[in-house]
Amino acid sequence: MIQLKKSYKYYNTGSRKAYVLSDISLDIAAGEFVSIMGPSGSGKSTLLHILGLLEEPNDGEYLFLGENVSHLTEKKRTELRRNQIGFVFQAYHLIDELTVYENIETPLLYKGLNSSERKSRVAELLDKFNIVGRKDLFPSQLSGGQQQLVGIARAIAGNPKVIFADEPTGNLHSEQATEIMELFKKLNEQEKVTIVQVTHSEHNATYGNRIIRLKDGLVVQ
Amino acid sequence: MLQHYFKIMFRNLAKTKLYSTINIAGLALGLTCCMLIVLYNKDEVSFDQFHANKNQLHRLVTTMSNEKETRKMGISNAPSGPAFKEGLAEVEAFVRVQNDYSNVKKGTEVIGQEVINADSNFFAVFTFPLLAGNPASVLKEPNSVVLTEETAIKYFGTTDAIGKLLEFKLQDSFITKTVTGIARNVPQNSSIKFNMVLPFNDNSNEWINFYLSTYILLNKNANYQAVAAKLDNIYLAKAKDEIKMAREKYNFTDNVHYSLQPFMQVHLDTAFSSEAVQSKSKPIYSYILSAIALFILLIACINFINLKLAHSLQRAKEIGVRKVIGGQRRQLIWQFLGESFLLSSLAFILAIILTLLVLPVFNTLANKQLSFIALLDSKLILAYILLFFTTSMVAGFYPAFVVSGFNPLQSIYNRHRFTGKNYLTKGLVIFQFSLATFLIITTVLVYAQFDFLTHKSLGYNDSNVVLVDVGRGTAAEKINRFKSELAQQPAIKLVAGSNSGFNVTIAKAEGKEIEFAYKRMDEKYLKTLEIPLVKGRNLLEGFPGDSTQSAIINETFAKQVGWNDPIGKQVDFFWDNRKVTIVGVVKDYHFEALQTKITPMLLVAHPKYGIGQMLIKVDSNNTATAVKFIESSFKKSFPLQPYSYAFMDVENKNNYKEEAKWKEIISFAAFLSIFISCIGLFGLSILSTEKRTKEIGIRKVLGASVQSVVSLLSSNFLQLVMVAFVIAIPFAWYANDLWLKNFPYRIGISWQVFVTAGLCMMLLAFVTISFQSIRAALMNPVKSLKAE
Repeated sequence: MIQLKKSYKYYNTGSRKAYVLSDISLDIAAGEFVSIMGPSGSGKSTLLHILGLLEEPNDGEYLFLGENVSHLTEKKRTELRRNQIGFVFQAYHLIDELTVYENIETPLLYKGLNSSERKSRVAELLDKFNIVGRKDLFPSQLSGGQQQLVGIARAIAGNPKVIFADEPTGNLHSEQATEIMELFKKLNEQEKVTIVQVTHSEHNATYGNRIIRLKDGLVVQ
Repeated sequence: MLQHYFKIMFRNLAKTKLYSTINIAGLALGLTCCMLIVLYNKDEVSFDQFHANKNQLHRLVTTMSNEKETRKMGISNAPSGPAFKEGLAEVEAFVRVQNDYSNVKKGTEVIGQEVINADSNFFAVFTFPLLAGNPASVLKEPNSVVLTEETAIKYFGTTDAIGKLLEFKLQDSFITKTVTGIARNVPQNSSIKFNMVLPFNDNSNEWINFYLSTYILLNKNANYQAVAAKLDNIYLAKAKDEIKMAREKYNFTDNVHYSLQPFMQVHLDTAFSSEAVQSKSKPIYSYILSAIALFILLIACINFINLKLAHSLQRAKEIGVRKVIGGQRRQLIWQFLGESFLLSSLAFILAIILTLLVLPVFNTLANKQLSFIALLDSKLILAYILLFFTTSMVAGFYPAFVVSGFNPLQSIYNRHRFTGKNYLTKGLVIFQFSLATFLIITTVLVYAQFDFLTHKSLGYNDSNVVLVDVGRGTAAEKINRFKSELAQQPAIKLVAGSNSGFNVTIAKAEGKEIEFAYKRMDEKYLKTLEIPLVKGRNLLEGFPGDSTQSAIINETFAKQVGWNDPIGKQVDFFWDNRKVTIVGVVKDYHFEALQTKITPMLLVAHPKYGIGQMLIKVDSNNTATAVKFIESSFKKSFPLQPYSYAFMDVENKNNYKEEAKWKEIISFAAFLSIFISCIGLFGLSILSTEKRTKEIGIRKVLGASVQSVVSLLSSNFLQLVMVAFVIAIPFAWYANDLWLKNFPYRIGISWQVFVTAGLCMMLLAFVTISFQSIRAALMNPVKSLKAE
């Protein structure tokens, strides 16, 4: 499903190129739950952004769902993100001015679903994540764990093929973190959603079925 | 989707009340100015449009030219109208209109009444509807009179006045006229204004004399330029003898050229002198006012753009998230443009309310009687909608474009570099403050020039001088009786007589023709006004022969002729076969308002025409007694004459009414532009301080003092204001120099003016910013760092 071939990412700092990722090749099959690990600055997040079509590699080839997406227009990439990809962030990144309900609904609006389709889908997610009672609250009125639940609900609202999660439990205490990781596991196992997460925690990485370790921009394992 | 956008719009509005208020208030003020000016301009172009014959109506205009000068006049004379109708098939009708003044009895009182004398087809040719009376015949009878509703109520207390009688003073008796028609009050957008219309009764056949307006109604198919081209031949044929005599007897060298001007062009015409038209205007007023209004709106739009851009940083996360979860740039542009439209529509509604509220004030300021309802039509609505859309686009498009272009990763991870260059915001702030500084400098100079005009010494003393009109041609004995009556009151110090104003005439001095102001006075005139003689003596005192043989001139007269010692020299009134000898020279004084340069002047005591105005010097400690006494003496001496008086210094100030109006308009504009610029700066300073909270925290932890933080936060903005000031100087200098050149007597533009304006501007900007910067500087650094 995801094939990255000999990819490089670098930034020009003065006259030299500072490599963030070097010669990365990896394959992720549909239904996998992959954890990307590595020390700070090893390029984990950059790799996730490239996979999530938020950044482009300077070199190499990227096939997403069998399609070469290395050099797509911004419009095309937005369309792919809208229909196939869900994002979960460490800092949740809910829109502060929107309620829980509206935050989950937003991707569906961009997808062009009609009002009744949106309603039933949001209701289903609220129910599934057990947050029906909080649907009219604003993010600032929720705890971190609750916010991340909404974040995940938003990410899967559009029925994406894959979820990219950037340290989804980084801001949470362990109890909440476990809840979130269990949720990911459930989504992966029951709904066959492919999950790629970046994490610092060996424990969280065990929820997945594969670990990709990075060091200084290289895959070490 | 729309619902979603609206929700987030309103929540953002509510969250950022201050910044939204600044934007809405600024835009509303700018829009109000523009709306008022749209009304003003609409009224200007609507002038005279209500006449059914508007495209066939023309004004007869005349041009007198000789080698030296060309004089274009909007006036003509009695015989030209009838002669052109007789001679040209294209001329359907002519209407002569002459402004006049009558004394009319109302009860036992005699009051002065402005009237017009018009040909009997006046109400048939022009569309001034009659409430009562037949338009074709109301002015047929020589003793008929037509009143407007207002005038009818003034004299009779009712508009139902047909057949009622009015008594008009004629010399020492009254003649009776019958009201034959009641006209609707004249619309305010009419060039021809009247309260009372009398039948035209001037049988003069002089062609070379210009004093009344002739309006020509042409055939529907006639080309006015073709008709105009035929006028001169008729004039030359009809006035042949008169021209010949004028050339021989009066040395008349001018060529007179007759032409036509479409009536619709009269109101905004600047080419022809139009004393006869009572409601004229200049297109330059529209241009200046429009420019001011657009400036103010532009300043408000700049606030909008700057605040929106600065504020968008706070919404960077939202933008990033939207992009990540599948929002296209186009959709984001729509969202942000929509928000701008919402803000500007709130501003628009507020502006309409404001417009309605301030319209009366604006009317006084602009000397108009605009009515929103009267001017409301589809064109006005269209103009306002256009104004709304343009404003929303100008204010909203750029921010929407920039904001939607944010890179989602950078905005989500707070990596936005917006603090650096930011040339656009800086440029716009500079532009704003340049405009504001320009207007401040202009205001200071307009005030200074106005002060100069109203306080400059006129070369005579106009204080405590009461002017009383005694009417032209009043017998000398009566005036003398009035004078001796006044002499009894100790509060009255001196009484002099002269004709009011002066005539411009020509005579020969040293064989050369000279044009000069010709004024009649008595022996007390110079003393009453404290006009000093520099050579020779006053008239009449001990020299009764002076009245016909002697004259006094001013210094300019002597200078122009080239006389070092004018005493004993002669001035030859060749057209009257009369010579006068100069017996004295007065120091130049401003007998006209300061908008005009002092011209040569000649003063005589010739008894032939009598005097029309008394100048009464009263005791400054006893003004009230004196004024009361003057009135009672006047009523005793001239029982049949209307009484009115004025203080000369007040009257003189009235010469600067127009300047006073512009002074108010400019100060108002300057105030608004500064106010809007400053609230914009205030908003920007808040946003920029917020952006730098962390930096300020770190600096404070490292030991920065409050002053150093304040100056850190202020200096950037103050630099911009400084640059704006420097840019504004040459423009302000140029524009004001141009304006001041209209005045022969004017202030110089000194560097102090610029320094004052610059310091004011800097101070205002500093105070504006310091609200925010001082607060930031006093903030607890722990708090600001913890937030990170």
